[in-house]
Amino acid sequence: MKFTSSRYLVKEGLKNIWNNRMMSLASIVVLVSCLIITGAAILLSANVNSLISTIGDDNQINIYLDYKMSDIDAIKLGPEIKKISNVDQCEFYSKDEGIKEFKDKIGNDIYQSMQGDDNPLGHVYKVRLKDLSEYESTINEIKKIDGVVSVSDRAAVARTLTKLNYFVTIAGFWLVLILGVVTLFIISNTIKMTMYSRRFEISIMKSVGATNTFVRIPFIIEAMSIGLIAGLFSSVVLICLYEPIRESAGSMLSMIASSTIPLGDIWLRVLLGFSGAGILIGALGGVISITKYLRREGGEILGW
Amino acid sequence: MIHLENITKIYPNGTEALKNISLDIKQGEFVFIVGPSGAGKSTFLKLLIREETANFGKITVNGYDLMKIKRQKIPYLRRTMGIVFQDFRLIDKMNVYDNIAFAMRAIGAHERDIKKRVRFVIDMVGLNGKEKCRPNELSGGEQQRVSLARALVNNPEMLIADEPTGNIDPKMSFDIMKKLVEINNRGTTIIVVTHEHELVKKFGGRVIIIKNGEIEVDQQLPTKYHPLKEIDNIDDNSEEAEQ
Repeated sequence: MKFTSSRYLVKEGLKNIWNNRMMSLASIVVLVSCLIITGAAILLSANVNSLISTIGDDNQINIYLDYKMSDIDAIKLGPEIKKISNVDQCEFYSKDEGIKEFKDKIGNDIYQSMQGDDNPLGHVYKVRLKDLSEYESTINEIKKIDGVVSVSDRAAVARTLTKLNYFVTIAGFWLVLILGVVTLFIISNTIKMTMYSRRFEISIMKSVGATNTFVRIPFIIEAMSIGLIAGLFSSVVLICLYEPIRESAGSMLSMIASSTIPLGDIWLRVLLGFSGAGILIGALGGVISITKYLRREGGEILGW
Repeated sequence: MIHLENITKIYPNGTEALKNISLDIKQGEFVFIVGPSGAGKSTFLKLLIREETANFGKITVNGYDLMKIKRQKIPYLRRTMGIVFQDFRLIDKMNVYDNIAFAMRAIGAHERDIKKRVRFVIDMVGLNGKEKCRPNELSGGEQQRVSLARALVNNPEMLIADEPTGNIDPKMSFDIMKKLVEINNRGTTIIVVTHEHELVKKFGGRVIIIKNGEIEVDQQLPTKYHPLKEIDNIDDNSEEAEQ
């Protein structure tokens, strides 16, 4: 296609958006909603995955001992724990060290009153495992040792997150599917309206020998532009909302702050991905409606 | 140029619009297609531009075999012809210049060529000074001249005029017919579909009368108008001929 033709066709396509501004706006709003919901589901899923993998990579578990247990008894448990074949490292973490961590939060007076036998915390062993696949059996073995009150079972958290991720993925898939169909429908209708309002021009174009491709291009450009505008807008919305949401979730649980994906790593991908998705959905909607129209009635010269 | 051999067209509802029609139209001919409503004139035109396909027979237009032509080749067939409609079919929101240029833009012509050619056809149909006017600012005759200019702008080998004088007054009709004859004298084949027998009598040329889907008359009448002759003479001549 010649450069002048391309320029003319692009101009016509963009002019169509303005001429049908209400329908174009409706399409953009629907497409933006669709992309934001889809994007939120994708970002949530990506972050949950990142969290799961962080937890999975972390092969350290905490063994909490009875708070009444004396220092000597607690230290004696060390070799017993080390005897378990899957235990790689075992580090004692006294209850004095534990209460020291809370000093700032509870204040000096309370801290001073919680020394020695008044310390409500128990001793802790921080254990690293050799093989994470034997996680469950190792935990069970540790729990059998006298004086062990509880073990931090991160596998349960991982399991919950995996379930959440599964739910997000399934729900996200259906959301994308349903909203995708709705969006396609809306975009096709916008293009159909444009074609209806320009059917007379299309008819004249066909009578003077315009090819179907030539007739089609402005409508496809119109649909793609609607998609691009919606893609850019929704990605900007998501980028603006992402960091505040991540920060507020991180303030609730420190693990989230450290394990989720920072905005710097994803903003470009979000921007490009959303713009691309918008253009693709737009092009698809445009192609479907114009092809259908040209096949059914667009080839005829009206009123003859 | 146009070759129809035993063409029959039956619509899906059973209407037999054309029955075993055969005719040839040569390059540079001026042909009137005459007949009452429902005679098959429109079907004949639709076959020529390949909007309809004949059920039987053989039809060749400007080198294209319309019984075998591929769908994607139809636009190229249509580029060899210009069409003038009875109701002008101008785009209201475009001015005269853009209405004419639209036909060139639709086939991807270069803007520089468009400017040159549009100016030329505007001059040819006598619409100088009206380039910026919208269709609703023009008389019926002027609108038809815009339609004629649009049909000519792609330099077609053949011009099809479907009732070109149907929506304009007799003086304007004469004016349009004069233009068509002038264009014909430059070598373009002209096919005029009309039911105005007076116009046919006044201008002469080849006359094909279609009735009930069949060619009833195919006759060459003497040509009574030449661009170099004055229009008033035609009226006199035709009156004499009638007497």
